[in-house]
Amino acid sequence: MLESIRKRAQTGKVTVPLPAGDPPAPYRGMPAIGDAFRSGSVAETCAAACATDAIDPEKRTVDLGRCVFCGLCEEACGGEGIRFSQDPRLPCGKREHLVLGGREFPTLTAAPDLRSLLGRSLHLREVSAGGCNGCDLEAQALGNPIFDLQRFGIDFVASPRHADGLLVTGPVSKNMREALFKTYDAIAEPRIVIAIGACAASGGIFRGSYAIEDGVGNILPVDLFIPGCPPHPLTLLYGILGFLGRSPGKNLRG
Amino acid sequence: MRCVHTFDLGQSAPLAEEAFRAFLRETSTGGDRLLALFAEEPSSGRFLLHALAGGAAPGRFVHACVEASPRSFRTFTDVCPGTHWFEREIYDLFGLVPEGHPELNPLRFHEGWPKKYFPLRSGGAPAPDARRGYRFLLVRGEGIHEVAVGPVHAGIIEPGHFRFSCAGETIQNLEIRLGYQHKGIESLFPGYPGMGKILLSESISGDTAVGHSTACARLLEEIVGKPADPSAERWRAAALEIERISNHCGDLGGLSTDIGYLFGAAHFGRLRGAALNLLLKIAGNRFGRGLNRIGGIGPRVPGIAPGDLVAELERLRVEVESVGTTLLDAPSVVARMEGTGRLLPHTAKTLQFVGPAARASGRDVDARRDFPSPSYGDSSPAKVLLDGGDVMARARVRFMETRSSFEWLSGILAGAPGTGTAAERVNAPVAGRRLVVSVEEGWRGEIVHAAVVDGEGRITRYKVVDPSFRNWPGLSFAVQKNVISDFPLCNKSFNLSYSGADL
Repeated sequence: MLESIRKRAQTGKVTVPLPAGDPPAPYRGMPAIGDAFRSGSVAETCAAACATDAIDPEKRTVDLGRCVFCGLCEEACGGEGIRFSQDPRLPCGKREHLVLGGREFPTLTAAPDLRSLLGRSLHLREVSAGGCNGCDLEAQALGNPIFDLQRFGIDFVASPRHADGLLVTGPVSKNMREALFKTYDAIAEPRIVIAIGACAASGGIFRGSYAIEDGVGNILPVDLFIPGCPPHPLTLLYGILGFLGRSPGKNLRG
Repeated sequence: MRCVHTFDLGQSAPLAEEAFRAFLRETSTGGDRLLALFAEEPSSGRFLLHALAGGAAPGRFVHACVEASPRSFRTFTDVCPGTHWFEREIYDLFGLVPEGHPELNPLRFHEGWPKKYFPLRSGGAPAPDARRGYRFLLVRGEGIHEVAVGPVHAGIIEPGHFRFSCAGETIQNLEIRLGYQHKGIESLFPGYPGMGKILLSESISGDTAVGHSTACARLLEEIVGKPADPSAERWRAAALEIERISNHCGDLGGLSTDIGYLFGAAHFGRLRGAALNLLLKIAGNRFGRGLNRIGGIGPRVPGIAPGDLVAELERLRVEVESVGTTLLDAPSVVARMEGTGRLLPHTAKTLQFVGPAARASGRDVDARRDFPSPSYGDSSPAKVLLDGGDVMARARVRFMETRSSFEWLSGILAGAPGTGTAAERVNAPVAGRRLVVSVEEGWRGEIVHAAVVDGEGRITRYKVVDPSFRNWPGLSFAVQKNVISDFPLCNKSFNLSYSGADL
């Protein structure tokens, strides 16, 4: 007992303040698109190295909804076309918000009436639907003392009846389609759906398999996609807070 | 290399059924242990069953195969109970019925799938009708009631269904129905070796990205004939041990949560994160994704100097030691974990369980010693073996294994080169039809990857065995005669992957 009290005092506060510093190198965060990607053959070099068809060499875009952040495109082009920065803040929003290099979209936030209804509280039911468990682990890490999601009034709940929305991981396996829909159905309206990770956006590395639905968007109306494979807990924090209009730099306490 | 092996399928004719049966029987009586049993359709309408075993001596692999009719084969569970789930899997993927199987419920497919759909079977021979519904074992008796849990569970975890048959609070039987995470991953591997396969392997089980991608990379390297050099292998082993430390810390935190010991939950949650951040500093991702390339490691790996990593590991070790000792010495913790969820050594041996769960029940198996990769050739982390078989033993094994890993890491990182060797692109040499196998000890137990490769160096069948697939039935045995409220604790003490089992 005394030992645990001593340890507690010794450890002090470990929670990261927001906005937080970037994760250390060689972390692969927000990809920066170089000028070379926009003209010439570099985009084709990058596309040839991509295992998930995230790069469209014709339109010269990078779809973060498909990207698994493996870094192979950067290696192939020597960083000239695409270079991964250490910034964990990734574009989140509707599916088209995740495509880099095309049209620019303003940051998506929830509708004002929904935000005023939620106030400073958001309760989510998590459903894991056919992924590898990586995104689930990072969603779970939001609850640990380092990221401490609860300080923002956001929490995960066991019952969909207690939830304001759904947080879904995975490409939606055919075997989880019914359970996912039933969970969604059990949440009172208005409800939001957040889909995290490349699988949930597009099927990710599993896209085209016989056993999956290639993303949550094919099953449910998704309000917010957060890319990553898996997204870093900071990416999740920035993504969810941004959607609630509580962007870092402003007053995060809402 | 003693962790990979190639069998020339041109040289190994299929055995007679009785000889194949004898091969499997031997794996359950000691010596070589079963690594995998899987089906293959080498030409349209013709089916082979492959069995892989080994481990009687370091680096020893043995293989046998047998022809199966397009409809069925006689079950091997009577001579080798460890084939139980493998046979159900063969039934699901190929439509070959294991005649006489004690519990032929589908593993992968649920109601709603077409009756004739077998994803890895060509249309070359008519397929039998598959049963897609699930028959739960019915327990009868006065006051017996059933409790159904899942597939969506209370926490942030993967889906699976648990059906308890209880008398009062006491669990008489637990039936585990999986398949919810089935994503058809084995169907995505065939083709020429390429980086896409390594990315796939990183997503077999998200918490074992290093273990699976290392096994996969070595298998692909064996196919193309270009092994990684010792410096790259050293970083693979270092990442593998840090992955083990991070997950064992996570599990000790999870066990603390499940008994309401918040001190352990908070600290181990934090320490797990610290270990994951070391993987990020090595490979650029918290789960070690990006570590492996075919023929070596990524060009930006390691992102941290060996000396700095040793210093960070030492800081982490001191903390894990102090929190772990406080946790496992606390009388309230011991009282709660001792005697709970006992998995008997006899059961662990008969069903050939693997990893820390087996080592907590007296089963001395460890792929780092039995199929040593280059870095484990001279020394592997100190052996941990207990025989209590309860939650306490599984917690202790985890804690003691983190100690062994820390100690071993400080040795292997001393004098490690600051960079590994980045991979080059290579093409597969032409050779005969062959079976390549690769084994590595992931944090949950031994990971087996096997590939059938055709004459042009193309993968035609890829088999993944995650340790969870081997150990799930162990949970059913461990919870028998425990109260249902102890189930979460028992479950966490195994902490098996749904994705790794469902593939």
